[in-house]
Amino acid sequence: MKPVSLEAFLARLYTDASLRAAFLADPVAVARGAGVDEDAACSLDRIDRDGLELAAESFARKRAARRANRRRLPAWLRGLFGR
Amino acid sequence: MQTLDAADRVGLGWRGELAAAILEHLGSLDVLEVIAEDWVHGNRRDSAALATLSRACPVLLHGVSLGLASSEPVCRRRLDRMARLVARVEPELWSEHLAFVRAGGIEIGHLAAPPRTEATVAGALANLEQAKRVVGALPWIENIATLIDPPASTLDEGLWTSAIVANSGAPMLLDLHNLYANALNFGTEPLELMRAMPLDRVSLVHLSGGRWIAPGSRKARLLDDHLHDVPGQVFGLLERLAQSVEQPLTVIIERDGNYPPFEALLAQLDLARAALARGRVLRAEQTRQAA
Repeated sequence: MKPVSLEAFLARLYTDASLRAAFLADPVAVARGAGVDEDAACSLDRIDRDGLELAAESFARKRAARRANRRRLPAWLRGLFGR
Repeated sequence: MQTLDAADRVGLGWRGELAAAILEHLGSLDVLEVIAEDWVHGNRRDSAALATLSRACPVLLHGVSLGLASSEPVCRRRLDRMARLVARVEPELWSEHLAFVRAGGIEIGHLAAPPRTEATVAGALANLEQAKRVVGALPWIENIATLIDPPASTLDEGLWTSAIVANSGAPMLLDLHNLYANALNFGTEPLELMRAMPLDRVSLVHLSGGRWIAPGSRKARLLDDHLHDVPGQVFGLLERLAQSVEQPLTVIIERDGNYPPFEALLAQLDLARAALARGRVLRAEQTRQAA
């Protein structure tokens, strides 16, 4: 098994609902199986479970909303300033 | 890039939805903060517009997607884009978050708190050094809000942040609502958490608002959503910060939606100015008594 960084495993956990469900059922085994090193895998047994779900939901909302939230300078203002 | 002005300043995050009102009220704003990612793919006219804006009002560039606080290396292509934007706009400064936003080829889509460990301190330091090399200056680095207590951490937030700030030499952008939310969500006194931060390196401050969320049976947590007014407790923290530090502070209010009438945003800026002024008065009294 190729070792993965803890951040890489967390990125999967935050974005993959089925992996998250499996992980919450058996955190250490799933982390080990994904290639997380032994110390980090064991530490994930104490993960903040409510926080994991809340963070994952928040990230999903952000992914959906980000493009809509921020706009460049409107065209009429670009015309005013951009010459 | 220039150094910050010698006096406290208060400004607003530029958002397209607020553009007309911001331009109409530029005289009420000391400074504007622009999201870098909104402009990195812009055309020549976009860049010219932003450069013109930066001549009308001091502009700060704020990055949200580099993901500098990670044991994985920062994406060189993204750094190059930031460098080009900084060169075109010539902002006073640029800033980024102490967060990771991708790892192992997966985009999280937003700022995530990395494990607070020696490994991510080392990773952040390497990434900051690379950012300095490519962009030409270190970013101001910002603490983030997190809904999850960062897994597998071995350092607390104050120690982790201080280690990165001290060893990188980077100045700090202290987001007081992020700090307030983390303190409430994970059982720390906000003032205690603020005091654990490297306050002597803070010259830039973010203020924003949020809301409590408690889906299902989960314990309520404060979400930093930038959609609500800055709470009074956060203005209180700003007052204490202004009392605690000598250096000038530049304060930016961030609002990403649910926009109130612009006069209400200006009133929030006035509350920030008032909090700064109260803090400075208290600091002057402290100094007088100590003399």
